[in-house]
Amino acid sequence: MNNILEVKNLSKEYNDFALKNVSFELPKGMILGFIGENGAGKTTTIKSILNIVNDYTGEINVFGMNNRKSEKAIKEDIGIVLDDMFFPEILNPTDLNVIMKDIYVNWDSKLYFKYLKEFSLPINNQIKTFSKGMRKKLEIATALSHQPKLLILDEPTSGLDPVARNEVIDIFQDFIQNEECSILLSSHITTDLEHIADYIVFINDGEILLSKTRDELLEKYGIVKCTEIEFKKISDIDLIRYRKSKYEYEVLVENKKEFNKKYSINTIDKITLEDLMVMMIKGVK
Amino acid sequence: MKGLIKKDFLLVKSNIKVLVILFIVCGFMSFNGEMNLSFALPFMSVVIMISTFGYDAYNKWDAYVIAFPDGRKNNIKSKYIATIMLLLMITIGVSIITAIITYIKDNTLDFGAILEMALAMLSTTIIMQSIMYPIIYKFGLEKARIGIFVGVFGLGFLASLISKFVDFNPIIQHLDMLNNYWIFILPIATILLLYISYKISEKVYKNKEF
Repeated sequence: MNNILEVKNLSKEYNDFALKNVSFELPKGMILGFIGENGAGKTTTIKSILNIVNDYTGEINVFGMNNRKSEKAIKEDIGIVLDDMFFPEILNPTDLNVIMKDIYVNWDSKLYFKYLKEFSLPINNQIKTFSKGMRKKLEIATALSHQPKLLILDEPTSGLDPVARNEVIDIFQDFIQNEECSILLSSHITTDLEHIADYIVFINDGEILLSKTRDELLEKYGIVKCTEIEFKKISDIDLIRYRKSKYEYEVLVENKKEFNKKYSINTIDKITLEDLMVMMIKGVK
Repeated sequence: MKGLIKKDFLLVKSNIKVLVILFIVCGFMSFNGEMNLSFALPFMSVVIMISTFGYDAYNKWDAYVIAFPDGRKNNIKSKYIATIMLLLMITIGVSIITAIITYIKDNTLDFGAILEMALAMLSTTIIMQSIMYPIIYKFGLEKARIGIFVGVFGLGFLASLISKFVDFNPIIQHLDMLNNYWIFILPIATILLLYISYKISEKVYKNKEF
């Protein structure tokens, strides 16, 4: 089993939204960055993996086991951080330890308190007194303390200041040192993913638009800036999306080097994940 | 599941000061004959347990807990078990206080009467919660509160309206016949209702999405 997570043809319909044949894989020892704008289907995909939602079709395998048939065994080895969903805030971190040690077989109280100390979190203060960053750190500490093999993180760095974000990212990188472990990380903060993700899966309007390694995306893809005359010479098969501004055209291309050879246009910018998202969503096909 | 029961008790514990103060106030009022302790405190236990639903809803706990191993199944079971445990504790507490008050005031101890009171108190509260929980799980706490309020007053209004046209006396006479057996009928009916309530809540929760 090389893949820790396999999502095959996942579909789910709501009245005003549908996930359409979402498929991707997460190999062992890797971090998968799951990106897309609000309402694109990231959280629905995560909830389907965790069986929080019903009536989805397709197949989801975690640790080589079907997520419906082996739900309990799978969940023992998954650590979760869900966006804005957590323990009642009148409890404190010590209370959480009391609760969680009876929920996860592998709950490690020592490890939990070690994380709390590392994150400088007070152990006897109610969660409601914590800042957003402190809450996120507590959620992450809780997710890590039963020694999971897969971390599923929905917006884990949102609301954190740059220093706290760096601390959290370091923890994720430490976690991934064990090559049996993987992370599925859904985030709007694409700069974080540029640093740590091995794979990028881009979802838009319930469909996967791109699924590639980070290096392939950031090294091969580019944004060509050209005049209208130059733009008209570009063949349809060589452009993925384009945007027209007042003075120039911006064209998203898949292979910078080949494009350069073919069209001799030198102004090709390196792409960031944010550029990619904007071009894929706002650009013309 | 033990962890989830602990979670509810930790939530209750955070309100323990209020609970103790109410116990003392109600105890004094009961001592002066201004109120019946056996009716005030079970209602408090309902309020306390319902408040745990409030905390859960506010922090979207349900979506989080069902991502735990067996979370969906255990969340319902733990809520019912925590409710019964809390009720039992309050019932025992109230029974002891009532016994003490009665002994101080009248210098007598009627264990039969205390037991009957405890049974009536326990059953009434369990019946109330058995009706409320599936409604809360189905519609959420906010809608359920309004629904329960409208339901109780609606039924009261309906009953008073019907009583103007229908003579209930023969029915009441028949029910009077059961007076001697209520000590057996009430617990059985309560347990049955609790079981039905649990099964409905479980089914509602199984199909619920968060």
